[in-house]
This record gives sequence, C-alpha cells and structure tokens, in this order.
Amino acid sequence: MLQAINLTKSYGAFTALDNLNLSVQAGNIFCLLGANGAGKSTTINLFLNFIEPTEGQATIDTLDVSQHPKKTKQLLSYIPENLRLYPNLTGLENLEFFCRLGGKRHANDQLEELLIQSGLQTDFIHQRVSNYSKGMRQKVGIALARARQAKVLLLDEPTSGLDPKASNEFSELLLDMKEKGVTTLMATHDLFRAKDTGTHIGIMKEGVLVEQFATEEVSFQDLEQLYLKHMHN
Amino acid sequence: MYRLLTKQVLRSRSTVIVTLFVLALGIVSVLMGEQFLNKQQRAIDEAAHYQREHIQQNAQWHADDLGLLLYYLRFTFINSFDPLTALSIGQRDVNSSIQRVTIRGLEGQKYDTDLHNPANLQVGNLDLGFVIIYLFPLLIIAFTYDLLSEEKEGGTWRLVASQASSPLLYLGYKLSVRVGLVYAVWFLLWVFALLRLPLSLNVNTLVFIGLSGLYLAFWLALCAWAVSWQRSSSFNALSLLSVWVILAVLLPASLNSLLANLYPVPEALSTMVEQRDGYHEKWDLEKETTMKSFFAEYPQYQKYPLPEANFSWLWYYAMQHMGDAESRQSSEAMREKIRQREQASRVAAWFIPPLHTQLLFNDLAQSSLDNYLSFLDETEDFHEKMRLYFYPKIFEDASVGKENWESFTPEYFAETPEVDWFLAFAPLLLLTVGLFAFAVLNARKLKALE
Repeated sequence: MLQAINLTKSYGAFTALDNLNLSVQAGNIFCLLGANGAGKSTTINLFLNFIEPTEGQATIDTLDVSQHPKKTKQLLSYIPENLRLYPNLTGLENLEFFCRLGGKRHANDQLEELLIQSGLQTDFIHQRVSNYSKGMRQKVGIALARARQAKVLLLDEPTSGLDPKASNEFSELLLDMKEKGVTTLMATHDLFRAKDTGTHIGIMKEGVLVEQFATEEVSFQDLEQLYLKHMHN
Repeated sequence: MYRLLTKQVLRSRSTVIVTLFVLALGIVSVLMGEQFLNKQQRAIDEAAHYQREHIQQNAQWHADDLGLLLYYLRFTFINSFDPLTALSIGQRDVNSSIQRVTIRGLEGQKYDTDLHNPANLQVGNLDLGFVIIYLFPLLIIAFTYDLLSEEKEGGTWRLVASQASSPLLYLGYKLSVRVGLVYAVWFLLWVFALLRLPLSLNVNTLVFIGLSGLYLAFWLALCAWAVSWQRSSSFNALSLLSVWVILAVLLPASLNSLLANLYPVPEALSTMVEQRDGYHEKWDLEKETTMKSFFAEYPQYQKYPLPEANFSWLWYYAMQHMGDAESRQSSEAMREKIRQREQASRVAAWFIPPLHTQLLFNDLAQSSLDNYLSFLDETEDFHEKMRLYFYPKIFEDASVGKENWESFTPEYFAETPEVDWFLAFAPLLLLTVGLFAFAVLNARKLKALE
C-alpha cells in the first residue's frame, strides 16, 4: 500500500533522507523510530507530497504522490505531532470543515457518532476547539481519518505530549483502524508505543533506515537495546 | 464550506468590532453628508430671500441715484450642486458655492468666502468618499493580511494542505468570504446612502458606485498579492500598512508639494496688487487716460460724455473695471497654472489609486477644483452681463423706480460632469487585474512547508 523506492531528499549538501526503501502492506502499522533529525518527518512529508524528492519515488496504492497528488490525497489522512484545528469552530464543525475540504459530505449525526467512536466526550462535541486539550484534538484527527474512510494514515509523532491515558486511548484507536484495514506509517520516539501498536518497526539514523523488522520478532527489551545501540554508534 | 468559513470569520471578535466600526463611520459619514447638503440648500434658499430683501431695501434708500444703488447691490450667482456632493464634499468645503457680486471690480470679490464655523473647518468633514478611500483599505488589510499566514502560524495549514485537493482553491474560498464581507459592508452603506440622501440612480451615481467598488477590488488585489508572497503575518501587516500610508498619505502629499514647486503661482499676489493699483491709481490720473482705456474695450459707451464734475459714475465704474482689466493677465496666468497643477495631478493619479478615485469622486459630485474654476469663469461672465446691463442705465442716469428689481433673482451655474470612461476605470482595472494575476502566479508555487 505504501512504498518508498530509493527515496532521497537533499537540501544542498545535506542529505535528510538517503535512499530509503520501504514497503508497508495494507492493514499494517509501520513505526519509524529515530532521534531528532533522523529523517522520520522527512519521510512522512514526502508521502504527503509536502516536499519534492531529490530522487526516488513515494507511492501510495502504487500511485506516485508527486505525479498523482490529488488522487493520493484522497487515500490518506494525516495527523501531525500537534494537530491544530480552527479555534473559533467546534469539534463537530472542524470535522465537517475538513471533510468538506477533502470533498466528503456527511450528515451531522454521522459526524457526531464518529467523534464519539473516536473517544471524544459528548459534552465537548459542540464546544469550541479553543477549549480542547491536545488529546481531544488528536481524537478529532482520528474521527477525520474515519470520516474520510482513509486507506492510509500518516502520523508524525501523534502521541508526543499526550498523557499515558490519552496515549493509550490513541493506540487503541489505531488498532481499531488497523482492524478495518487501514495502513499506517507513524513516526515516533515512543519505543513502548511502537512495540505495543506497530506491526513493523524501522529504526532511522541520519537519514538512513538502518534496521527494519516485524514487531513480533523482538521483545521490548531487545527493541530498546537495538535502538540504543544504533543511537550510540 | 462557505457557511463554516463565514462562521470562522464572524466568530472573531476583532473582525466584528472592526467591521462595525467601519459601518458606523460610514453611516456617520452619510449623515454628515446629508447635513452638509441641507446646509448648502438652506444657504441657497436664504440667498434668494436675502437678495430680494437686500435689493428692496437699497432701492428705497438710494431711490434717486442708480449709480450709488449699484455700488451696494449684490447679485447672487450659485454653483448648483448634485446630491452626490454629500458623498464627496471635496472643494465645496473650502470654496464657496455662492458668489454675491457687485458690478464693481470682480477680482477683489472672487475669493470672498463665508466662514460658517471655524471649529468645523479645523476638524473637517467626513464623507462616504473618505470612508471608502481611506478606511475601507484598512478594513481590507485587517481581513486579509493573515489569510495564509494565520494558517501557517496557527498550525492548521499542514492539515489543510494534506486534505484539500487544491490548497490554492481553498485560499480562494477563504478570500472570497472576506471579499463578500467587505462588499456587504460597502453595499449596506450604499443602501443607507440611497435611502437617506436624495440621490437618483443616474449614470453619475452608478459610475460613483462602480468606481468605489473597483477601488475596493484594487485593495483586495493588492492584499492578495502581498499574501501570495507567503510571508509572516507581522511582515504582511507592516508592509500593507506601509503601502497604505504611501498611497493614501505620502504620495499625494509629496505630489502636492512637487506640483507647488513645479508650478509656482506668484500671480496670486500680483493679481491682487495689480487689481488694487489698477483701480486706486486711477484716482490720481487724468480722467481721460482712464476713459481712453475703458472706451477702447467698450467703444459702445463712447457716446456718453464725460461730465465736467469732479466725480461721475461713468468714470468711477471705468476705474473699477480697469482694476480688473489690468490684473486680467495675472489672473488668467494664475488660473492657467492652477489648471496645469490639476492636470498634472490627474496624470500622476493614474498610478496613485486613492488620489485617482478621490479626483473622480469629486468630478462626479461636482466638488472638484475644475468645477470651482469653471464656476469662477462663469462668475466672470455673469459679472460682465450685469455690468453691461446696468452701465448704460447708470450712464444715462435712469430712474431706479423704473427698473423691475423683482426680476433679479439668483442665477445658477450648472455643470454636467464629463467623465472619460476609459481614463476613469482603466488605471484601476489594469492595476487590479495585474495584481490579481501576479497573486495567482505567486500562489501557484504554494508549498505546505515554508
């Protein structure tokens, strides 16, 4: 579903992403681990077509995102580290707004149901987003992905800054999406969450994917040691 | 989409406050215009009444001397106004629309004005033209300067860019909501003005409305162009406000100063001196010298013999006229230079939209400098007509009682504004289309991450 083929992004002499080859099958959750500047966000941005690759291709459902930006946008949903919504609109209105922006129309009761399914408290649905916590905003993001019936979810450190309860709720929502066949590529620092939620893990360092494996192949301790080994070298 | 975008805008307290403020000022400006119009009409009505009363009284007091009576009698000449004057008061604020002239030398009477209220002069009037030309651009800047940057700075742009099939189209929607709001305020003010003022929907009014709408489009295009550079909110706000100051204040003031230097008018003083000397020096000259010049201009009066007496009205009015005649060249030179200044202003104004719009508003409202100069020209003709009517009667010592004084009611000057459609609309239209085109070209390079 998601594929990076020799994907490279350079800024002058600096190579942010170096010859990345990656494949995420439908219904899998691929977690990209790595320190700041490892190239995780660059990978996400390339799949979002926010930036042009210097070399290589990023494809979604076999479509090159640079060549078919409109079609690939229809397939994906994106939740950044800190999902920002329009503070003057309510959660429901924000959801309706972004759905319409992507060309999808839903009845208000459907959208309310999606927000509730995504874990937003009923009391907050009609409150302005300026009153929302970060966790509540991320839930609106999940509701948006559901409303858009996205096949691909691109997440850039979505649980960063969330309290453990909210983080856990978010993971459950991801697993629920996975059950529905949604493919996820998630950049994260959170080893525990990656092991707990992901089906596959890749470790990135200085723009290079240095290791990738299925989550079931390693224990949490092994993952931690492997990660630290790469970070220290 | 539009409903939600509109909600977003209207739920911003600052937007609502700024909009209501401009709306309130617009309403006040229409009311002040109405007040100005009523004051003008009252002055005209009173002038007619006053002239009748003034003539009746003086005709009684000086019933045996027509020459003396006409020394005092003032005849009213009125520069008619269009109700559009209420929307663009222009020169009408400082130059009188009513001339009350005697048949004595005109030059000294031309620039007499009535000072109704010095405090009011100091503050100045507020008209809808001012609100449109100077305040609406600020409203437009306030609505648009952060069209894109607020999304980037607020963090919503990444989500928008990832969801919208065309982020540029989305910005177009967003801009159109603000455009709609600006034009809604503009439309409401026009509805109010049309209901409140005795305006008729003739060509001039429609051109006035169209021009004001196009002027707003120019500012919207300018703001769209500034936004398309994708700079920060503070940069956009600062640069757009600077452009406003430059276009609305700095350039017109500099142009005024430049033109005053390029076309100095020393004739303003020399005209006055020549007119005074032209008249007063004649008291010390031989009467024949004065009369020779006077008869050269009006040979039809040579038949009237110059009386032996020390004083005669023929000689007196000839002296008065010679003041005008001797200052005529300076007076014409002064007017010519003022017209040159005006012409140069109009050419420069093609590149200064606020000035261009202001000049055209004044043209349509008959409150321009051109209108005032034409009124002065017509005043000269009116003055000459009165002189030539009364000269023979004075020289023949006609009876005051035989004159039908009731027939001397105020006369009017009415000008039909001639607007060159191409020159009126083309500069604004070209600038607007050009800026929008550049804005779209720039915005096509729109990136989610910058």
